[in-house]
Amino acid sequence: MPQRLVVTGASGYIGARLVERARRSGCEVVALGSRPAASDVPSIPWRLGEPPPLTVFADATAVVHLAHDWSSDRANGAGPGNANLEGAEALARAAREAGVARFVFASTTSARREALNAYGKVKIAIEERLKALPGSEGRIICARIGLVYGGPERAMYGQMSKLAGLPVLPMIGLDREVQPIHVDEVCDGLLALALDPPAGRHTVVVAGPVPVTFGNWLRTLRRARHGRRLRLIPVPIGFALMACDLSKAIPFVPTVGRERVLGLAGAAPMASAADLAALGLHLRDPARTLQATPVARRRLIAECRAMLRYVTGTRLRSPGAVIRLARVVQRDPASGRALPGLAVRWPALLRLLEPVRPDMQHGLSRRLHLAAMVAEVLPPPSQPDRAWWRTIASQLVLEGLALPFRLFLGSLAA
Amino acid sequence: MSEPADVIVIGSGPAGVSAAVPLVEAGRRVLMIDGGDDDVTPAGAPWRQMLGDDLEALRPDDGLTPKWRTPEARRTMGAFKRYSAIDEEDFLGVGALARGGLSRIWGGFVGELDAEELSDWPITAAELRPSYAAVVDRIGVSGSGDDDMAESYGAAGTLLAPPPLGPTAAAIIARYAAAPRDPDFALGRARNALITADLGARRACDLRFACLWGCPRGAIYDARQDVALLRQRANFALRERATAVRLARRDDGWEVTTTHGHRLRAARLIVAAGTLGSLRLVAPLIDPPPATLPLLNSPVMAMPLVVPRRLGGKMPAHGHSLAQLGFRLRCSAAPGDHVSGAVYEVAGLPASSFAARMPFGRRAGTEIFRALAPALSVATLYFPGRYSANTVSLRYGDGGVRIHVRGGVADGFDALARTVRRRLARIWRRLGAFALPGAALAIAGTDAHLGGVFPLGAAAPHGTSRFGELNAAPGLHIVDGSVLPTIASTFTTLTIMANADRIGRHLAGIG
Repeated sequence: MPQRLVVTGASGYIGARLVERARRSGCEVVALGSRPAASDVPSIPWRLGEPPPLTVFADATAVVHLAHDWSSDRANGAGPGNANLEGAEALARAAREAGVARFVFASTTSARREALNAYGKVKIAIEERLKALPGSEGRIICARIGLVYGGPERAMYGQMSKLAGLPVLPMIGLDREVQPIHVDEVCDGLLALALDPPAGRHTVVVAGPVPVTFGNWLRTLRRARHGRRLRLIPVPIGFALMACDLSKAIPFVPTVGRERVLGLAGAAPMASAADLAALGLHLRDPARTLQATPVARRRLIAECRAMLRYVTGTRLRSPGAVIRLARVVQRDPASGRALPGLAVRWPALLRLLEPVRPDMQHGLSRRLHLAAMVAEVLPPPSQPDRAWWRTIASQLVLEGLALPFRLFLGSLAA
Repeated sequence: MSEPADVIVIGSGPAGVSAAVPLVEAGRRVLMIDGGDDDVTPAGAPWRQMLGDDLEALRPDDGLTPKWRTPEARRTMGAFKRYSAIDEEDFLGVGALARGGLSRIWGGFVGELDAEELSDWPITAAELRPSYAAVVDRIGVSGSGDDDMAESYGAAGTLLAPPPLGPTAAAIIARYAAAPRDPDFALGRARNALITADLGARRACDLRFACLWGCPRGAIYDARQDVALLRQRANFALRERATAVRLARRDDGWEVTTTHGHRLRAARLIVAAGTLGSLRLVAPLIDPPPATLPLLNSPVMAMPLVVPRRLGGKMPAHGHSLAQLGFRLRCSAAPGDHVSGAVYEVAGLPASSFAARMPFGRRAGTEIFRALAPALSVATLYFPGRYSANTVSLRYGDGGVRIHVRGGVADGFDALARTVRRRLARIWRRLGAFALPGAALAIAGTDAHLGGVFPLGAAAPHGTSRFGELNAAPGLHIVDGSVLPTIASTFTTLTIMANADRIGRHLAGIG
């Protein structure tokens, strides 16, 4: 008989992904509360704080509680009126009464009493309440989840992705350490906790084992998505909070919640290696994983198309060639920085950017060489109508015109 | 085949099969140890042929010949690189641990050594001649028998008709026919192990420019073809994916230990692992094991040419990318002191390799190359091995022999090379071809014409008898390039094969 999971917050960033993965691995899922969009998962209407209908727990193996009511954080802070506190406790009690073997609560690595934001304070308070419930031992597990990235650009990941798109970013907490973990890895961890938890653990840290500073994380995001460097300007937290309030008033600027800013300022790393090992999770390298995101992929494809167009002088009608080049550029460790957006749009500009002294081992020369090799596999272009000497003369003139700029760029690079 | 074999042959390249053929034909039981297996050049979309299934060949060619980054070259040489434990300094150690050895990716250019080039050998042209003829007939050679190069390429065996000449090469040789002769220079049709008529299971060249990526028709000779024929014989056995790591003399003959720990025995041993491979296997048998050994190679230079009459012409739609023409230029009156070379057309060669070497941006380089391509050709010239000066040092340890090779050229070679280039440039000019700047000497070893390690007829412990039997190890015969006492400027492969055939016949006779 398939295992049955009850999931709250199933329409959220993690929830939707978790439901998908759980079903793929053969579990039955019931969404308690909102249902993931475009899904045929059975769902039962419910809101945090309401008593759950007991029928939902029939034959369930575990409850995974992901739902979080942000509005209640804003309205009540971490005080006793916060719906998240009562809601989680009531849910855990109901599940126990219905005989559900396990209750997995999605907490956070920022869960601590001294947290600056309500979120961290609320999560730790829930953890403590759940721990105090009778019979919680071995039945209730709190998963302290790190900074989640990957998948659809939603939630915190969506915000960071937007921020990383800005050329210059004033930011707080740049030297705070965060523990990135891919959303799929989080889901695998939660599934392991729900179905086959390691014995003797009440809280489990599901977060990247090697903390990175938040500033470096934003740079990694930007490099993966846009191939460029991110200029970060450290900002005192007071200014940042003011900016948060301002951002709501200014159009076209991503808005940033105070809660999130305060969450960043208050985070501190937690050891996770042992817990990850107990869950059987081997985390991927975020920088490499992010390369495969659709945005990064689209940029890479656009660049490869531009390079092929430049080296061949024609619009290629071979998607295969573009994909082959992208495959090699992506895995080539020596292929260097991204192309400027203008050159992607007008590939002829690459003539200005090519190093005067080509270096086949690095950077643009190497990528263009790869592009030329990919192009020559295609049927040869028809012979030019122009006289041979016209071709040579026009190329020499263009080269001559481009040379000063290339020399200038070369001197900048040196 | 019943064990044990009469003879074990180590290596399935051109030398190994050439020694094995006469032995098998004489009824001897031959066991061949082959570092490779029955891999075939896969067919598929052009990009798979040229870049590899996993695009592994999509990488810059490091300034060497574009041939060596092809998937076929990587299949051929990859395992050797991993296994060989050679430290290289200004040297490129080329070898193969794949069935057929380096013949899988050779240029197919063949020619006999003449009496002058054999002057330092303990054997005469007459002794080699029957073997040359047997090999030429076996592998199939096309070329011209009555032009100015015909005499130096030799007349052994039956020649197939040459394939059609490329337009640029045709323009050059037409001028040559009309010009007054220079006594030091000769030019003619190249002689290639490329069949223009079906031969056994091999199909004649269909002029599709597929040479560089592994001919799908087998029109270019490749020792795998001979291995396949040998395997049909009852007295021949092949041990695949087995690399010999140690040779030892036993009371009743020789024992070969393979990487898998198998021990194979036979009364006689024929070593044909390729010069560097044989060097590593045989050196520890010499008592005391030598700290250094000689190593010759043939310094090679490439010279791009442009034939202005061909500018604006059409690129040929059909052809091959092996050598079109062969030439020879005398350096001095000393016997065998001449450079030999070949002229290639650029159709069928990757344009990216040329564009990468032009002093322009990539787009300009590609466009200019394309505009010039119908008029372009490349001459390669090989110098005799006497102008190489390599140092091989050997260190012996538990893990086997560690070989360090430092490549170099003899004193005065640079001046000679400059003179030769100047003289050739003048000659090409008279023939309507202009040398472009950018002629470059390749790093030593790129030529893959290695030899002189265990010279035939040398009395030293590392020398070999006139039948390749190592002075220090009776019953062990070396038949590959490592026994050539000199490296002539004429391409060595045909001579290696003929010499191996000669030794094979000798061993077949003495039992």
